[in-house]
Amino acid sequence: MPDINLTIDGHKLSVPAGTLIVEAAKTVGIEIPVFCYHHKLDPVGACRLCLVDFSPGPPRPQTACTTPVSEGMVVRTQSSMAVQARADILEFELANHPLDCPVCDKGGECPLQDFTFRHGYPTSRIDGPRLHFKKPIPLSDKIALDRERCVLCYRCTRYYDEIAWEQELTTDERGVQSFITSQFDQPLQSIFSGNIIDLCPVGALTSRVWRFESRPWDMTHTATICSKCSVGCSVTQWQRRGQLVRVTSHENDEIDEGWICDRGRFDYTDVNDPARLRTPTIRGTRSTWSDAITAVAVGIKGKGAKLGVSLPQDITNEEAFLFRRLLDGPLKGAKVKMHGRSAIPAPAGPTMRIKEIDDARVIVIVASDIETDVPIIDLRVKKAVSKRSAKLIVVYPDGVDLDRNPQTVHIRNQKGAAAAEVRKLASHELLTNPGGPVAILFGDGHGSEDINDLAKACGDLAEKVGGKEMPLYRATNERGALAAGVARWDKLDGVDALLSWGPPPTAGVPRSVTFIAAWDHLPRPGYEKAVVLPATTFAERQGSYTNVEGLVQFLRPPIPVRSPLKDGWEVLCELAIALGVKVDYAGIFPIQRELAIQPPDPEPEPTPVLIGPAHP
Amino acid sequence: MPELRGSHGDSPTNVLTRWFGTPDLHTLDVYESKAGGYAALRKALLDMAPADITNEVKTSGLRGRGGAGFATGTKWSFINRDSPGPKYVVINADESEPGTSKDRYILENSPHMLVEGILIAAYAVGANQAWVYIRGEYDEPYRMLSAAIEEARAKGYVGPKPMGKDFPLDIRLYRGHGAYICGEETALLESLEGKRAQPRSRPPFPAVKGAWGRPTLLNNVETLVTVPWIINHGGAAYAKFGTDKSPGTRLMSVSGNVNKPGVYEVELGQTFRHVIVDLAGGIAGGHDLKVFWPGGSSAPVLPASMLDTKTDMESLAAARSMGGSGGVIVMDDQHCIVRAAYRLLKFYARESCGKCTPCRIGGDWAVRTYERILANEGSQVEIDTLLRVSDGLQNGRCLCGLGDSAGWVIDSTFRHFREEYEDHALRHECNVGKVATSA
Amino acid sequence: MTALSVHILDEIRELPGKYPQPRSAVMPALDLAQEELGHLTPEAMTEVAAALELDPGYVEGVATFYSLFHLEPIGKHHFYVCTNLSCALRGANEIIDHVKQEIGVKEPDEVSVDGMFSYEEVECLGACEFAPMMRFEHRYHYDLTPAKIDQLIAASKGEKLLPTRGEVARSAGGAAEKPKPKPRTARKKKADA
Repeated sequence: MPDINLTIDGHKLSVPAGTLIVEAAKTVGIEIPVFCYHHKLDPVGACRLCLVDFSPGPPRPQTACTTPVSEGMVVRTQSSMAVQARADILEFELANHPLDCPVCDKGGECPLQDFTFRHGYPTSRIDGPRLHFKKPIPLSDKIALDRERCVLCYRCTRYYDEIAWEQELTTDERGVQSFITSQFDQPLQSIFSGNIIDLCPVGALTSRVWRFESRPWDMTHTATICSKCSVGCSVTQWQRRGQLVRVTSHENDEIDEGWICDRGRFDYTDVNDPARLRTPTIRGTRSTWSDAITAVAVGIKGKGAKLGVSLPQDITNEEAFLFRRLLDGPLKGAKVKMHGRSAIPAPAGPTMRIKEIDDARVIVIVASDIETDVPIIDLRVKKAVSKRSAKLIVVYPDGVDLDRNPQTVHIRNQKGAAAAEVRKLASHELLTNPGGPVAILFGDGHGSEDINDLAKACGDLAEKVGGKEMPLYRATNERGALAAGVARWDKLDGVDALLSWGPPPTAGVPRSVTFIAAWDHLPRPGYEKAVVLPATTFAERQGSYTNVEGLVQFLRPPIPVRSPLKDGWEVLCELAIALGVKVDYAGIFPIQRELAIQPPDPEPEPTPVLIGPAHP
Repeated sequence: MPELRGSHGDSPTNVLTRWFGTPDLHTLDVYESKAGGYAALRKALLDMAPADITNEVKTSGLRGRGGAGFATGTKWSFINRDSPGPKYVVINADESEPGTSKDRYILENSPHMLVEGILIAAYAVGANQAWVYIRGEYDEPYRMLSAAIEEARAKGYVGPKPMGKDFPLDIRLYRGHGAYICGEETALLESLEGKRAQPRSRPPFPAVKGAWGRPTLLNNVETLVTVPWIINHGGAAYAKFGTDKSPGTRLMSVSGNVNKPGVYEVELGQTFRHVIVDLAGGIAGGHDLKVFWPGGSSAPVLPASMLDTKTDMESLAAARSMGGSGGVIVMDDQHCIVRAAYRLLKFYARESCGKCTPCRIGGDWAVRTYERILANEGSQVEIDTLLRVSDGLQNGRCLCGLGDSAGWVIDSTFRHFREEYEDHALRHECNVGKVATSA
Repeated sequence: MTALSVHILDEIRELPGKYPQPRSAVMPALDLAQEELGHLTPEAMTEVAAALELDPGYVEGVATFYSLFHLEPIGKHHFYVCTNLSCALRGANEIIDHVKQEIGVKEPDEVSVDGMFSYEEVECLGACEFAPMMRFEHRYHYDLTPAKIDQLIAASKGEKLLPTRGEVARSAGGAAEKPKPKPRTARKKKADA
């Protein structure tokens, strides 16, 4: 369809058909204030803040967020009718709104503040008692609700219903007595609950983890990549005085579309733990880096299969590359175990991209509860089903949250029999004529399936029905580690030296170990007898991850590495030299060049937070 | 069944209520044998094409009797009969507009008339299933309508082959549970879908995306019970009643300080004097008329001096009011307009769904302002606040008409009875019942 | 031990299939639950949600929206007295005062000491020509006077009320008022409740 030509406040513009007036106005820099409208949610026209005048049209103002543009439309956002309507609505919103700005965490990035300043009446005519609610209400141990501040834009409940397919957050009562609540006052359970903090245009929903911490202008932030799972969502990490103070979303339509899960949002407090290790130690005594690295080298050199190497799930590509050099050289023969990885072997070729889920006509999910394994992909699947009419088939032994849609076809297989069910799917009624691309996502059933058989079955199915596969790797940089050849899971029993890169093995340190060298950021039991190198966390380290789709993404840590800490790649270079390997990398970029991964683009646009809605 | 308070019997303008009062009219046998019932359905199903049925309704000029007054035939033609997939007819029997009881009157006297009207409408627009959304408080009408549908089913008028016609027709009932907002079209559809009843943004309109996402025709009870007569006598005959732009008759529920409250069938174009004085017996107790609401509490008030305003939609619009639901609430000079407005604002505030900002906040703010005025704590500030809130509730600010109606209560009562407001707010006194009516 | 009887829960489970989309069943389901218990408790609402395979929060949101759903206990007999304009103009407020006095309560929804009665002021019930009027025990009562109120209170304590014309019509008319519970057939398993 051809683009539509219209005029907004005298500016002539041309936008694709179907664009809403409020979005069209943004393209020419005109702000039409909104509360209930959010570009990722279905528009409702509830708050009435975006009322504008347009002709041809009815003689009364209409909401810009529900009206698509039409050819030759003339929109006026500054007519007296529109200006007064906006000011009146803001006045109504403020009628019961408490004067909490000095103690409200939203201050400084608050659309209500900003809109009132820009579009509201200059003085208040409100006199009289306001409606009161008990506050704050803990919706969970991470989120607080303040019902007096709430402007009932319903973004939170609509998000929960439309995007996350849950109704544990609901609106009770009717009219001015309405309030947001969690079901029967139970704590919110969903892994997707934290996004309501970003969505809320006022200080009604705030993070309890970041409560009373800072004003936005006291923090700096970077757009980086989350390191909690293989999806690799874009996140914004905020630092103040060298501490990681909060994590919010950063919209990346290729992957997360602006949502992050609660693991990424709230699991960061260990970065600021006062017990964090700062200097190298040898058996409990502070030492220099040079001595410590030498001690490590001495302890692990020439051990062959008696050396165990434990790698973290979020090892960077650069670190993995360096480990490969060590494992091919001085550490040859060592047993290597990577945390958190799935049983899925390295992919044979390119795999499906996350955004291709949008266009799939049928989505098949096998041997994975994606809400737990790759949460944000779960949201993408839900979007494809509820907003783009994709059909969904799940092959999994237990119930999954996707069953909430009564149209989901759920085949409950016996554990271990997933491949057999997949083979039957080629003749399933939904797949005989899918009418478009088919997306096949498969996991490893957490070890309960014969993964090679399953991978083959999925590959065959993809070929038969015109589908693409996405193997659901779980560990953050599983694909990067696989590409580097270090994503192994050898058994570490019987080794007598252990090099633990990151936290110790989840199964514990094997009893046969007599020498431990650890690169870790927190003290653990047993480290008094080990050689310990203080580690950087995801908030400081440089490097890249390869996510589940095979996309290489670069970390942009908000906190610089401060002496005496050293970054992981640097420590590995020094260790390599101590082990007799010739390495000569001046920085991380030469490593990346050698890995043939492109250096990142220059600084992308930061999320605008001080102007307009914090996370529009 | 209590006594019949309203029109019934043989009178030239008793189009709908002609047979009301016939014993057992609510049974299929009597409806068919004594009142000529189901002849229209037979004619529509077996002798007419669906497009012709719609055309007949268009010719009649019948306008929706729920409140909006939209041309019924035009509304029917919005449904694309040939589009694939299910379509629905939804009947708005939520009647909750203060002062309105006509739909209850119809359901308790002649439920079969509604059944017949529904079946004809469903056939005309290509819907196989009709849903009657009936307010939960209407226990008796629900029982009677339910029994009527079962009788029709037993007789083969509702079912897979109604009267032998190969077009399945079914009528189902859905009870509301106490929310005035469900009288609003799209809020009703939300309630039918099992949700909190909050109106939707329009477009899309119900004819395109209505009940459960399907094309839907939504009509009021009274609108549909008029259809059998139109089919039997022809649209042109119906258009002979009433005025050019508001043809026909309508049921007006008259209540309040009158001698004979009741549901009267009135030819549109008659004056309110005819309705209030001739039909409802004038003001009771020897008092004088002060003000009346011509179309439910949501219609702007008219003072006694405008008693000769005519009942058709155009005359009411010219008088800065509206036909609305046809519920005529009559108030005499012994009652205070400020208290009346306050009580109505409490109604609107309580019934506000809470979705849109102006209605949610404004209704409550107005109530609290009225409370200050009536507690003798008022001043010019409170009057200004009321007018400002009223302004904020009108002119497209709100998502649906509930907010506008609340605004009109404040606006119209103040416009016609300014002195009473100022008595309360500025002089902290109430002069009602002490002096002869001014305004 | 469930709050709702097995019979009612079975009936509720049969409801979703009767509507074009299953969520429409939530209002009639809550109705059944309220009829059985007198009002809706969180336990009852949670059981309704489970029976309908919905989140309890969803059911809670619907139940709290509509005025006819009671979330607090009410008297065994509840007076729904209209005090909107037409009824107010004809003495509804005096009827309210009389009701309060006779049943011995001071405010709406307060239950009388013997648990028998409570009242609330409701909005227009659609019978304005019979004002002042009220809804009581699923029927309308018209042209109220203090004497009529007294009679109804006495009748509630003792005798049965005569059936209305509609009740007679319904029982003579045709299908049963409530669907008979069907034998449970195997259903496709969905997520664990």
